Amino acid sequence: MFHILKNKSIATFVCLFLLSICFSNAHAQEETAKQVVESFQTELISVMKQGKELGFKGRYDKLSVAIAKSHDLTKIARVVVGKEWAKLSEEQQQKLVDVFSQLSIASYAYNFKSFSGESFKFASEEETMRGGAVIHAYLLIPGDKDVKFDYMLKKKGESWRIINIIANGVSDLALKRSEYTSILERDGFEALITKINEKIDNYSKQ
Amino acid sequence: MYYTAKKNKFLKVCSILCCSTALFLTGCATTGTTATSGTAKTSEVDPYEDFNRNMFSFNKALDDYVANPIVDAYSWVTPSFVQTGIGNFFSNLKDVNVVLNDLMQAKFMQGGEDFGRFLLNSSIGLGGLFDIATDAGLVKHEEDFDQTFATWGIPQGPYLVLPVLGPTTGRGIPGGILDVAANPASYVGKPIQMLALLNERANADSSIKIVDEAALDPYVFTREGFLQRRNHLITDGKSDLLEESLDTDETSDKKKVTVTLDSSNKKEPNKKEFKQAVDGFTETEKSFNATSQVLKAASEKLEKLPKSK
Repeated sequence: MFHILKNKSIATFVCLFLLSICFSNAHAQEETAKQVVESFQTELISVMKQGKELGFKGRYDKLSVAIAKSHDLTKIARVVVGKEWAKLSEEQQQKLVDVFSQLSIASYAYNFKSFSGESFKFASEEETMRGGAVIHAYLLIPGDKDVKFDYMLKKKGESWRIINIIANGVSDLALKRSEYTSILERDGFEALITKINEKIDNYSKQ
Repeated sequence: MYYTAKKNKFLKVCSILCCSTALFLTGCATTGTTATSGTAKTSEVDPYEDFNRNMFSFNKALDDYVANPIVDAYSWVTPSFVQTGIGNFFSNLKDVNVVLNDLMQAKFMQGGEDFGRFLLNSSIGLGGLFDIATDAGLVKHEEDFDQTFATWGIPQGPYLVLPVLGPTTGRGIPGGILDVAANPASYVGKPIQMLALLNERANADSSIKIVDEAALDPYVFTREGFLQRRNHLITDGKSDLLEESLDTDETSDKKKVTVTLDSSNKKEPNKKEFKQAVDGFTETEKSFNATSQVLKAASEKLEKLPKSK
């Protein structure tokens, strides 16, 4: 009897030990906000270096993984339509998130297609009032002015995700929100989706 | 004859200034908010949107059919190093205005750096053709009268699209006129001014291409980009956008997303501008104190000299 109990307690101990290892590993794998940004930048530079060989489709596929790991596209899509989000049906919301995600990835794949010595340099990190983080970095372009990039991140569950990029003081999120809400108010949901699809087509053709 | 021509030119500038001041004051009276683009209601920032959209379309057509072909031809015949040299030359002349506005914003250290830039580029940089000051570590700053007015607490006024000249604001019009008046390139004759404009437009070609490629609504894209960039320059990069004025927190899961600024936030930029103006004056006071201390120390040293003899 005692023997069985002893075996049971050893088994329990082993289980707890294994669980704790699993938990600590999972905890250790969570990237900091800075790591999330830097991993994304590394992937972006790597895609730029192989830009020509990969072609648009290759860059799109590689970047879609990198963007999914680093950006919260659902939240960004929600914010860019502002209060109009609440007026959309669930189906429309899903449609918007889908095409918005495609446009974001296509825009990266189109604009970061070649490499001419560019690199990212981390500058500083700060916490925001509402538990977010801002990573300040610079894109160094040989023979040109440095571009200041400020990445705003929020926690999605346990992981940090980029929700906005401010390039030289121009916020991508604010810019898109003005555009999207203006189109929704003036022309409606279908017109917005059509315009987004046109842009995706243009990016993929060039 | 020469005197009469000068007098006429002076009168012309004065009348433009008077008109612009009137326009500017009208603009200020119309809106009291400083736009933090993308966050305030469009109608407050852009009350003349319909007019502006028409002007935007007009400018776009003018650019497509007139400016673009000329710029293409110019870019084709002018090697890129020549374009860079011309760009550097006019940029150096603009530094005179930058120094002037540094001083008016009580940025004395920056003013010293920018004056150093101007001297270095004008002499060793062969009249500004080469921007050797940047290589020497003197970064180019962007200051103008519109930014100076903003730091003095003058509100932005409405967003406006002017024929040919493009986007500006109620405050930007008199600011722009004073910028032109303070730029030595404005007094060297029309062909040189045309060259400056042409070169500037050629340099902006990639930005225009980005608008065409990325914008779903080019008018809104340009307006927001312009206002955000101006706000960024005015606040020297300490923009509200970093402080999450964009409310990205969802209030609940019930399809409700908070995205607009509340009224208390809307008035914040004004407070900020006044604070900047007060800070500016405090800085001025400090620098006067520092100068007086240096003068005092110098006079003490001078007093000691005869005694030591």
